[in-house]
Amino acid sequence: MVKITLEKNVMENNDRAAEFNRRLFGKTRTLVINIMSSPGAGKTTILEKTISALSDEFRIGVIEGDIATERDADRIRKKGVRAVQIATEGECHLDPRMVAKVLPDLDLDSIDILFIENVGNLVCPSEFDLGQNHRIVVLSTPEGNDKIPKYPLMFHVTELALINKIDLLPYVAFDMDKAREDLRGINPDSQIMPISAVSGEGFDNWLTWLRKAYETCTKP
Amino acid sequence: MHEMGLMEDALRMVSEDAEKHGIRSVEKISMIVGDLSNVLPDALCFAFDAFRMSGEIPFLKNDATLEIIRERGLARCSACGTEYEPRQLLATCPDCGLPFGVLLAGETFKIESYEGS
Repeated sequence: MVKITLEKNVMENNDRAAEFNRRLFGKTRTLVINIMSSPGAGKTTILEKTISALSDEFRIGVIEGDIATERDADRIRKKGVRAVQIATEGECHLDPRMVAKVLPDLDLDSIDILFIENVGNLVCPSEFDLGQNHRIVVLSTPEGNDKIPKYPLMFHVTELALINKIDLLPYVAFDMDKAREDLRGINPDSQIMPISAVSGEGFDNWLTWLRKAYETCTKP
Repeated sequence: MHEMGLMEDALRMVSEDAEKHGIRSVEKISMIVGDLSNVLPDALCFAFDAFRMSGEIPFLKNDATLEIIRERGLARCSACGTEYEPRQLLATCPDCGLPFGVLLAGETFKIESYEGS
């Protein structure tokens, strides 16, 4: 019997794939946003509304990550944009290799903004760099304030927290000031942005944020 | 529970290396798992056992063992310089209460070695 010293980082293949994706996105000048949240926070509805608002301005593509079904990609395709579904078949997050595998189906050269909707989960997706330009998190008001201190890593690695479903604020116990304070303690570089994908309240701020991000990403 | 996928990656890395060294049967794998690596040792052992017993990994003996070497977390406060063991990735200094300590150890997740013939 022999003992072989390997000293190999298990995440090495993921890191390499994320770099590969990042270089490709840079080459095609595509702004890539990795959207994460718990299940049901409204990621897909936000995307539908965003596509309606921006499809005359930008060529948009979407990668949908779910454990099972094509349902979300079907919803997005109805909006007339290209959508690819990754069914992870049990994995609780997207990893950069799954993303790299579907990129050939997307024709990145003809996409200005690519949204990657991660699997609904506030834990594992925060640990995987997909090669995106920005990571953002969606938190909906009925989920309550505790989500920020309970899942600190997610709020630490993201740079924008969309607080969705603010049309429900009169009916749920959600304290926006407390959310701002909690987020400051975990990540002073992130910001809270209250929106409603249903009523449209605050949505302009999100669209402005996206336009700015696109401008920055495509600057020579 | 992403330990299943991570274990699959680890076994693939060992398999590739074992092939290079002409090793056909692996009896033990030693991994270093940091307290702050977001990998749960129990879940990792569960994944290892599942692969080991499935018989789907040709080079892995069905009585192979997994050794997990724990790496404790260590952080340094960027304000007062205190070194301490943080409870989570967002390290908070026990002396001055400042968050965002610089992590010096505890994030490692790697295969240290393996044994076989």
